[in-house]
Amino acid sequence: MADKKGEKSIKPFRNAFFLTVVLLAAMLLPFAAAAQDNTFRLPAYEKLKLKNGLTVYLMVQREVPLVYVRAVFPAGAARDGNQSGLAWLTAESLTYGTRKMTKEQIEEKVEFLGASLTTIAMTEAAYLSSSFAAQDTDEMLSLLKSVVAEPVFDAKEINKRRTRMLAELKQAKEKPREVIGSYFSRFLFNDHPYGNPVKGTAEAVAALQPRDVQRFYAAHYNPEGTAIAIAGDFDLRKMRSKIRKLFSDWQPARQEIVAGAATFSRDAGTPTQAKVLLVNKPDATETTFLIGGPGITRNNEDYVAVQVVNTILGGRFTSWLNDELRVNSGLTYGASSYFTTYQQAGAFAISTFTQTATTTEAIDLAMKVYNRLHTEGPDPKTLSSARNYLKGQFPPRYETSGQLAGLLTDMFLYNFDQSFIDTFSQKVDELTPERAMEIIRKYFPRENLVFVLIGKADEIREKVSKYGEVTEKAIKQEGF
Amino acid sequence: MHKCFSAVLVLLLLLTGGTSCLLAQAKPADVQSFTLPNGMKFLVLEDHSIPNANMYLFWKVGSRNEHPGITGLSHFFEHMMFNGAKKYGPKMFDQVMEAGGGSNNAYTTADVTVYTNWFPGTALETIFDLESDRIRDLNFDDAMIESERGVVLSEWRTGLENSNYRTLHQQMLSVAFFAHPYNWPVIGYESDIRNWQKDDLQQYFRNYYAPNNCVAVVTGDVEVGQIRQLAEKYLGPVAAQPAPRKVHTQEPPQQGEKRFMIQKDVSSPNLMLGWHVPQATSPDYYALSLLSDILSEGKSSRLYRSLVDGRQLATQLSSDMPVNLDPYLFTVFAAAAEGVTAERLEKGILEEIEKIGREGVEERELRKVKNQQRVKLFRQLETISGKANHLGTYEVFFGDYSKLFAAPAEFEKVKAEDIQRVAKQYFTRQNRTVGILQARVD
Repeated sequence: MADKKGEKSIKPFRNAFFLTVVLLAAMLLPFAAAAQDNTFRLPAYEKLKLKNGLTVYLMVQREVPLVYVRAVFPAGAARDGNQSGLAWLTAESLTYGTRKMTKEQIEEKVEFLGASLTTIAMTEAAYLSSSFAAQDTDEMLSLLKSVVAEPVFDAKEINKRRTRMLAELKQAKEKPREVIGSYFSRFLFNDHPYGNPVKGTAEAVAALQPRDVQRFYAAHYNPEGTAIAIAGDFDLRKMRSKIRKLFSDWQPARQEIVAGAATFSRDAGTPTQAKVLLVNKPDATETTFLIGGPGITRNNEDYVAVQVVNTILGGRFTSWLNDELRVNSGLTYGASSYFTTYQQAGAFAISTFTQTATTTEAIDLAMKVYNRLHTEGPDPKTLSSARNYLKGQFPPRYETSGQLAGLLTDMFLYNFDQSFIDTFSQKVDELTPERAMEIIRKYFPRENLVFVLIGKADEIREKVSKYGEVTEKAIKQEGF
Repeated sequence: MHKCFSAVLVLLLLLTGGTSCLLAQAKPADVQSFTLPNGMKFLVLEDHSIPNANMYLFWKVGSRNEHPGITGLSHFFEHMMFNGAKKYGPKMFDQVMEAGGGSNNAYTTADVTVYTNWFPGTALETIFDLESDRIRDLNFDDAMIESERGVVLSEWRTGLENSNYRTLHQQMLSVAFFAHPYNWPVIGYESDIRNWQKDDLQQYFRNYYAPNNCVAVVTGDVEVGQIRQLAEKYLGPVAAQPAPRKVHTQEPPQQGEKRFMIQKDVSSPNLMLGWHVPQATSPDYYALSLLSDILSEGKSSRLYRSLVDGRQLATQLSSDMPVNLDPYLFTVFAAAAEGVTAERLEKGILEEIEKIGREGVEERELRKVKNQQRVKLFRQLETISGKANHLGTYEVFFGDYSKLFAAPAEFEKVKAEDIQRVAKQYFTRQNRTVGILQARVD
């Protein structure tokens, strides 16, 4: 219903860490680490690489009789090329029939078991996520294997989905918060693939054909680039042999198709001047905005330190942004800041909204707070509070098997390892006020910021030109 | 049902001094309950899987306790609970909690106001101290009231700006309810948000924020004895109050279909249908819940299969059988596909529902939604926050937390005939309200 805090939901953190770690250590698993103290550590897991190149992670977690599967494929929207929306359509189409089952049969089977199955593309990668009762493991794994390795891409179903995507693209623009991220990415990254809108643009989506989906699948879904993590209530030895048996015959498609940009330039285009994108929504009652610039990659060595500083700026309820824009001034229900991290680049953004009449008041105040971060930096007391906060809120982020499976596939995708978990507290504690200033100077962009505003342009056009060169678009205008 | 570790693993657990896995897979007997002399009830469920704990406080006050002039006050009060008391002044509740590694939030519904604290187990006493301070000695600072008014107006505005569902749902309540206070939105009317006074808040505090009007749920890395001790120390001294006045207004039966229209610049019509249905304690709750699942849970559900996937009349579709203290509304919400009229979509939805009334449901279909409910319970109990929220919800809305664990058995009892019966009984034309949000048509 109505929440008190405009904050994103809390990220809980967890699991039966001391139990599991000791158990698996006793079973001589390769990654077992004995917990020496009370620090949260990653539960033990096993990592395998099948002969076909597929990476598999297995983690036993027995708190509830559920199993979670998460697979990651190097098939995100960043690989769309000029076929915007293709990664999204391909990921969804994985479940539109396999050699053995139709789309309807897949849906019927999954839902009869009370299981879940989602296939989705994001910017960097595509994901399959599934969860089911432990007793249904065999049936579900065999179904998931077919979805991953034997999809038939039924043309009729793909065409139906494309029609619905076109309607959804229009509907999304009725809700500023649903689309502002796409405008921001495109405006910040320009033509770089990280600026590709995940659900595409109307013009490009309308042109997508089933054969494009087949081609995209053949180019980007292959065992070598894929990792599957399974976490939950199962017997490790049996699961290992099941997975080997099921997935060993998944062979990559013929390599005649050259993959889209396999790697991207790290230089995702740093803006050379401050600029404003004003998206006109004539019936808007408030202005929704993002202010930001280039950020960091996920495997940046200072990732944790950046999180600590961002906690102070805009990562929690008492953060400076929320304190000024919400608590002190009542301008907004919530103000925050965050880093979006990818393999090769990233973005930093300040995010909030306010009624049309107070648009520049809110932006000015946000900028004042942000400048204070650069000029004053955090005081020792605030830094200490932020450190405690991050450490205290860390365990619930890895509480469920689903969260842990997500972590394992992220480790694969972004090339970091369990030391992220095991040294998290230590790294948080190491951040001194002096080091925090270095982090701010290095990673929180100060010059040439980009401003993306969705609101009633007639009332704010003149006032916002002071932030940079203004580009204006109508929200109904196709694309971002 | 719940499997345990194999014998070898259990042995290892014993050798290493670990706790039994039975603790993790919660069952009713694991929940400990006690009530302080002042009437404040506690539910405690130990779970040592992570070094964190949660405290959820369910206050039995929501927008149904309001009246015109102070609509939205329950929710505004919820905001004010973070704005200073006696020991901890303005901002300090959040500052102290976050510095201790904890975080919090709160939510208000038509029936309850719930405060949620998530924290490392080591911060337990701090949380009790913070909660008891505001429960005992909440203070209303004039400046804080005014800035919070701006915050809530922003929340009100941004909700409508970003959600056609919310826009429709507010009007749905106002049209479908003639007498009952479910008539207004939880967030209140804009003019009430702008005008309520400090006195209103003070009165609210006296009436509803008494320990005898609260159920507290603590889950996670804590011990029952420790909770009892802290509860007695921090909350025991807070005096009980006379029970708040009961909401006695009942909604009279609806006497004919009601319809309303909202004009907004949207690309395709959005549609909401509502039917009056009973409260959570009704014996029909379980059949109605399963009917909702049959209609819209997943892609094999009837409405999705027929209208989104098959005839392609809608791009999205959902239904909701609510959990409420008084009779509320079962709703269906849909966004039309491009070029599809609201009339055509409405007809499609009604045909599917009427078909269930006429022909009933298949056994396999019923089995499917019962299976889904069983797995859902596991998912609800996966996290300490899920445990806290669901225990409290069942205690308050169903009268007993143990009904959470009994839910799969209650769903099992529902027969195909029951589904058909409730479809016929509640989904009549006379009992329904239809709302359409669409672009202006002159």
